[in-house]
Amino acid sequence: MAVSSCSPNLLLLLLVSSLDWLSAPGSAFLIDRDPLTSSASLEPHFTECISRNQETFRCWWNPGDFHNLSSPGALRVFYLKKDSPTSEWKECPEYIHSNRECFFDVNHTSIWIPYCMQLRSQNNITYFNEDDCFTVENIVHPDPPVSLNWTLLNISPSGLTYDVMVNWEPPPSADVGTGWMRLVYEIQYREKNTTGSWESLETQPHTQQTVYGLHIGKEYEVHIRCRMQAFTKFGEFSDSIYVLVTEVPNKESTFPLLLVFVFGVVGILVLIMLIIVSQQHRIMMILLPPIPAPKIKGIDPELLKKGKLVELNFILSGGGMGGLPTYAPDFYQDEPWVEFIEVDAEDADAGEREDNQASDTQRLLGVHQPVGHHMNIGCANTIGFPDDDSGRASCYDPDLPEQDALLLMTTLLPGQPEDGDSSFDIVERATAPERGDRPLDQTQTGASQTWVNTDFYAQVSNVMPSGGVVLSPGQHLRIQESGLVTEEETHKKGKENKGGEETEDKNPKELQFQLLLVDPEGSGYTSDSSNRQINTPPSSPVPGEGYQTIHPQLVETKPAATAEGNQSPYILPDSPQCPFFAPVADYTVVQEMDSEHSLLLNPPPPRHSPPPSLTQQHPLKALPSMPVGYITPDLLGNLTP
Amino acid sequence: MTMTTVIQRAVWVLFLWPYLLTCSLPLDCREDHGSFSRCPSISQEKLLDRVIQHAELIYRVSEESCSLFEEMFVPFPLQLQRNQAGYACITKTLPIPSSKSEIQQISDKWLLHSVLMLVQSWIEPLVYLQATLDRYDGAPDMLLNKTKWVSEKLISLEQGVVVLIKKMLNEGMTTTAYSEQGLLQFDGQPEMLESVMRDYTLLSCFKKDAHKMEILLKLLKCRQTDTYNCA
Repeated sequence: MAVSSCSPNLLLLLLVSSLDWLSAPGSAFLIDRDPLTSSASLEPHFTECISRNQETFRCWWNPGDFHNLSSPGALRVFYLKKDSPTSEWKECPEYIHSNRECFFDVNHTSIWIPYCMQLRSQNNITYFNEDDCFTVENIVHPDPPVSLNWTLLNISPSGLTYDVMVNWEPPPSADVGTGWMRLVYEIQYREKNTTGSWESLETQPHTQQTVYGLHIGKEYEVHIRCRMQAFTKFGEFSDSIYVLVTEVPNKESTFPLLLVFVFGVVGILVLIMLIIVSQQHRIMMILLPPIPAPKIKGIDPELLKKGKLVELNFILSGGGMGGLPTYAPDFYQDEPWVEFIEVDAEDADAGEREDNQASDTQRLLGVHQPVGHHMNIGCANTIGFPDDDSGRASCYDPDLPEQDALLLMTTLLPGQPEDGDSSFDIVERATAPERGDRPLDQTQTGASQTWVNTDFYAQVSNVMPSGGVVLSPGQHLRIQESGLVTEEETHKKGKENKGGEETEDKNPKELQFQLLLVDPEGSGYTSDSSNRQINTPPSSPVPGEGYQTIHPQLVETKPAATAEGNQSPYILPDSPQCPFFAPVADYTVVQEMDSEHSLLLNPPPPRHSPPPSLTQQHPLKALPSMPVGYITPDLLGNLTP
Repeated sequence: MTMTTVIQRAVWVLFLWPYLLTCSLPLDCREDHGSFSRCPSISQEKLLDRVIQHAELIYRVSEESCSLFEEMFVPFPLQLQRNQAGYACITKTLPIPSSKSEIQQISDKWLLHSVLMLVQSWIEPLVYLQATLDRYDGAPDMLLNKTKWVSEKLISLEQGVVVLIKKMLNEGMTTTAYSEQGLLQFDGQPEMLESVMRDYTLLSCFKKDAHKMEILLKLLKCRQTDTYNCA
């Protein structure tokens, strides 16, 4: 049974297949031409039937290889409209022989009804292909859309891409308004002047579409085609339109403006920051004012530094720059027992002092030139050392300091050494500690000079019960009593006279002894210039007061101290001794003078007699124990042998 | 081929989904004798629009179904048979205008009646088609769903047209009562190819008629809105 049912089916299948084979040579236009059959001779066939608007359609035929049938009229078109079983073949209603076209107008066109096309030659040879049957709606190829236009939608923030909206009109031939045809459109675009493939967008029934992602500066070619919805046959492409968007100029023009604006703002910000910073400095200064440095009006702050006390004192004494007010007088104005040395302005012996440090005391003392004009407050001073006569350039000129030192020392010694030897010793020792930072330049020719160069004023360090005043050597010399002064003067002059006789004196002590030794008991001072003993009781009667008191205690240790090379009257401190004085403070109290006429600045321990070196060191070490009197290191420098 | 089916399915979903949403509201107005009150009132224009939407959608889905079927079951050489299928369509006997000029000449009444005839004549064959497709081996679900959907929508389309006729023509019509037993009867087990060709013809004819329905309705609408332009 199956076989029997199968057989007609198989036959049907075979028949259908054969029909297909038969139609192969004159293959229908509706199917792709089989390449195999192209080699065979072509019968006259229809190339295409197309309807544009679903109301009319056209068919074109080709005579194929039968060139004798190519003449117009040689072939006739017949069609069969299968609207009824009794339909017949009819001839083409309208020929267009130039195109080998058969046109079916509206009256002859029916939709949804199959048409079959047939070619017949003059001698009734029919060339028919079953496949050339169709219904009109299936062969509709709509006309391309018209009136293509595009508008720029937006540009991406990066400025590289943009979007356009493409709009168009449906083909006028297609009756879309009534709904006769429902069209869908397909847009394709590509870059101009490229042979690349077209980019297709999805078909959609609306008459506008957005194209995204076009690049700035590139020109694009856009065209559209359409087809009936739910049908497969696309129409031809429309004419291309070109889309090009270049860079927006206003953006370029605003770009430098933006740059300028940005830089201006940045610059203003930087300025504000700087202002804030600078103001902060001011604020800082306001909040944290700097610590004022020591300052005295009119005095170089350099001198206020450590180590320059001598210069400072000199300046303060009014002898320096001139114009400096003398502070010292104000200092002691209200102390009646402080007397000042009256200065003899006529003392021209101080002529060669190039530095006007020729204090009045120098002139007072009448220090002679070779002796007196050693102005040096200190070689370390910036002030020049005008020692021409003696040719002494160094501070440690042996000539000068002895006398001056001794002079000074005698004035300064708080105690009167019993022995004459003590003077030099003391001086030596005194000078020893004085070396160093204290310029030894107290190579003052005479004790008077040293005595003079230093200061007018000496600080009163102590007042003795007897009424005597112990002056501190400092920068000031205090003479308690005018009598003393006068006597000093006389003695000084006398000393000077004597000193003048002497050359580079070897006996500076004499002067000193004359002037300065004061007996604590008020015995005055020694007037004996040749006396090497400072502690000889003053020859001249003193009103009973010594203005320099020298402790007798100092004398005790003297002998050993004097052993040091005190034979020479030279008190000039050697240069090696100079550094020895470095650590010494400004003031050193002379305790005693030994037999060697050296000043003992530090009272040595009563038990032992320190070696000279030690005695020299004593002043350094025993400074704090100095009860009375001070010697400035510079003075001491002159006193050392 | 499977890729194409996938694509077609996707396209179907894409196209169908908004239509399903818009047209999913059924015309529940059964013009039954007693159930008239259930129907919500709807304007004629809206109704006509709804009907047209139905017709458009039906046509699109039918076209997709036919393409699917053609790809899957119909051998390539026989695929052009559809062009000849018009001769074998079941509705060829119906006096339906087939050209634009004819359509423009007939009245609104005739248009509506033509549509109704078409719709009513296809309800049963679609049911038959649904049944036959189920018997196919490897028939894709999408095809089956589509045909099913079409048959359902056709019924609602019929209802809509009936209402339209009633509203526009003030005529009462009755909906067809269809039965599972279709006009086309087959005995025994159909041969594959024969069945395929038959179904293929059926689908093609239906596609064509669906297109016809759509155009008729659209022209009717055009007449309703702008008489002059649709002439």
